[in-house]
Amino acid sequence: MPHALRTLGALTTAVLMLTGCATVAPAPAPSATSTRPLDNCGVEVPVTAPPKRVITIKSTSTEMLLALGLGDRIIGTAFQDGPLPAKWSSTTLPVLADKVPSQEVVLGANPDFVYAGWESNFAADGAGTRSDLAALGIRTYVSPAACKEAAYQPRRLTFGDIDHEIGEVATLFGVDDSALLAQQHSTLASIHKDTHGLSALWFSSGSSIPYVGAGIGAPQLILDTIGVRNIAADVKDTWASYNWESVIAANPDVIVLVDASWSTKEKKIGVLEANPATAKLDAVKNHRYLIVPFAASEAGVRTVDAAADLASQLAALERG
Amino acid sequence: MARTANGIVWTVVLAAAVIASVTFAVTFGPAQISPAEVWGSILHHLGIGSTSLSPLRDSIVWDLRLPRVLTAGAVGAGLSISGVVMQAITRNPLADPYLLGLSSGASLGAVAVLLLGSALLLPFAAFLGAVIALVATLLLASAFGRITPGRTILAGIAVSALAGAVTSLIIFWTVTGDSYREILSWLLGSLAGARWPAVGIAFVAIIVAGVPIMLSGRVLDAFAFGDTSAATLGINVNATRWTLLTATALLTGAMVSVSGAIGFVGLILPHAVRLLVGPRHRLLLPLSALVGASFLIWADTAARSLFDPRELPVGIVTAIIGAPVFAALLARRRVSS
Amino acid sequence: MSGLDARQITVRLDGTLIIDGIDCSAPAGAVTALIGPNGAGKSTLLHALATVLPTSGGVIRFENDDLLTMKRRSRARTIALVEQDASTELSLSVAEVVALGRIPHLGPFADESAQDRAIVRSALDTVGMADFAHRDVTGLSGGERQRVLLARSIAQEPRLLLLDEPTNHLDISAQLSTLALLHDLAVKGVTVIAALHDLTLAAGWSDYVIVLSAGHVVAAGATAATLTPRLIDDVYGVHAEIVERPGQRPTIAFSPRG
Repeated sequence: MPHALRTLGALTTAVLMLTGCATVAPAPAPSATSTRPLDNCGVEVPVTAPPKRVITIKSTSTEMLLALGLGDRIIGTAFQDGPLPAKWSSTTLPVLADKVPSQEVVLGANPDFVYAGWESNFAADGAGTRSDLAALGIRTYVSPAACKEAAYQPRRLTFGDIDHEIGEVATLFGVDDSALLAQQHSTLASIHKDTHGLSALWFSSGSSIPYVGAGIGAPQLILDTIGVRNIAADVKDTWASYNWESVIAANPDVIVLVDASWSTKEKKIGVLEANPATAKLDAVKNHRYLIVPFAASEAGVRTVDAAADLASQLAALERG
Repeated sequence: MARTANGIVWTVVLAAAVIASVTFAVTFGPAQISPAEVWGSILHHLGIGSTSLSPLRDSIVWDLRLPRVLTAGAVGAGLSISGVVMQAITRNPLADPYLLGLSSGASLGAVAVLLLGSALLLPFAAFLGAVIALVATLLLASAFGRITPGRTILAGIAVSALAGAVTSLIIFWTVTGDSYREILSWLLGSLAGARWPAVGIAFVAIIVAGVPIMLSGRVLDAFAFGDTSAATLGINVNATRWTLLTATALLTGAMVSVSGAIGFVGLILPHAVRLLVGPRHRLLLPLSALVGASFLIWADTAARSLFDPRELPVGIVTAIIGAPVFAALLARRRVSS
Repeated sequence: MSGLDARQITVRLDGTLIIDGIDCSAPAGAVTALIGPNGAGKSTLLHALATVLPTSGGVIRFENDDLLTMKRRSRARTIALVEQDASTELSLSVAEVVALGRIPHLGPFADESAQDRAIVRSALDTVGMADFAHRDVTGLSGGERQRVLLARSIAQEPRLLLLDEPTNHLDISAQLSTLALLHDLAVKGVTVIAALHDLTLAAGWSDYVIVLSAGHVVAAGATAATLTPRLIDDVYGVHAEIVERPGQRPTIAFSPRG
């Protein structure tokens, strides 16, 4: 037995040396089972030394690292969707770019890891293709909920998928994720699912053609969690272009307004009230709105918090 | 003359087709409302009979579907007439209503306003953009000597390119999240935002600009053999050209302001109608208007029904139909010339 | 006075002086040939007389009317111009093209009457194109199109008919029948002015000539008296002999100088 362990150790070291890592691998985190590379949206991401210089693109990536206590590894953020949640409001992170950074900007910051919220961030005219960056020794990772290829896109997003991402990131960074997972699970358990059989429209953006949360993504997950039926649940997409006629025919009990800097909740209310047909909806006449910040509307560590917040907003609406 | 008698028949048939199109298109839509309920609701609003629909479903018919179908008809008619005139004035069968920078200017105005977040100002900004682009085109065309159709087209191309570049720059620089969707929908052309005010704008434009254009059929025919020929037939070439151009620009500008730059209607439909009734403008103009109206009503019905409950901008449908037809047109020209 | 009387016609195109202060006249009821070497300004003068080219100053009087100040429609009912190479891309029928000639009479809104249609048919008959009435004009040969445009101008019922090289694309029999037609129109009282480059045709078929060279009138008058070998030598630099045979129209035999 000890002989086998020594051989295994030698082999591991040899593999690590061959992949160019000079440092010895730290003790693997409890949730990691092996040092096999991760299959991330069809791209192999080797599990080697934990990254030290990370660029995050989109809020979900930044928040994932902060939630795992890895904020000190972030050397730059880009394309953030909104301000950080209150618990991290004192954290200031260096801003690399307002939108998708160019490859030159990325390389200029000398990262060893780029963590993106959308697969499209890794384009030649964006941060650089994943293979280009890998060739330069920079590992890349995309939030699995956002994989575009059908084989990798979650059939229907679950909290299990988010847990899985937490696990993968913890593996890559060599940290313990049990505390975060416990926190996520307890928040989830604390949510009181509404039992009134209400329906909702998840109004993401648009005015003449509404862009709504559809059947298989984070909006659907959140609505399921708080016990509200998504009127667009039959559309097999994460988000989709919809139409007002269907909204009116469904007459949703509440309307979830995604509040983004470029499409504020006030603007959305204006759109709903200016349209002579939607103005007649009960939800619009009685201001039955639930607000969710844009940064919390995509799958990530904030999803469960967003669901909890919407559940309490709903309860308040029903009380008042 | 055989063609005249034919013309009367076609006018009656196509006018009936427009009425039928409106009548049936309003019964299509994602909300399950029976045709009888739809017409009942419309008649009720016109003061005849009562409606069995709930206020919300009634609102779907009267506030969403009917204005949208009517706007589609008016815009289709307006763009077709504009296309006929542009092809006649420039003596180029590949001309379309957007040739003089009109759609690029309108797009620039619209995108600027969309990004500032004010959907209400959209028609005005788009119209203003179209007019400014037209003025720029004409100034550019006259800057190097006499204005000729050839110079005007080239100036229009230059202004369109510039407006397009600025529009792209604005989009690229400022677009966040999925705000590009709204812009894209406008740029492709969409009737999803057509309510009763849009119907008003479109119909006023047809009456103020479209009707005078339709009455100028014989005058346009006089241009068949060129300016000199038209002059010897007693036409005031310059005044006619300017008047028609202005009326067309106003008409197109108004249409684009309510529906975005819907493509291919102004380019293809004049040719389709010519195949039916020949090139004489006295017949071509009103018939193009009728065919354009029916065409766009059904294209928009397809756009909002084919992928129910998802909705496409109608410009995609007209492009899908128009592009192969356009290619066929080009092939015919190459064969014949 | 009847016929055309033009004084001090000056035309500049893009800054270049083409015609310089020309005086010319053409009597009614006669065919006047406008001749001269290439670049003499024949076409320009015709277009100026048709008032489609602007003249700097000058007066054009026709049968007591001042053409330059007439209303457009009246003028279009008075003058018709047959251009040299006019063509169209529109697939109009021959009859529809000839019907365009009725526009000055109809105005923008009136419908064609039976009389208008009769005039169109008659015009087509006159040029021998009655069988072509429903053919597509874009499919015609140059000569056929020329005759259609001539029919169109006849349908205008003009009193002054201006033609720019009307025999250019025509075969010999069509040339002769066109010239015979012009003669018939003249007999009916129309003032006919035709730019011709073929001196033989001018010699045989015109009653009067106006000879242009480098933007000036070098001679004008009755053809027999004006179109002399001496003139031809001066203007064209070739040796000519007017051949007259009894019972036939005069013709010219040419030989190069020296």
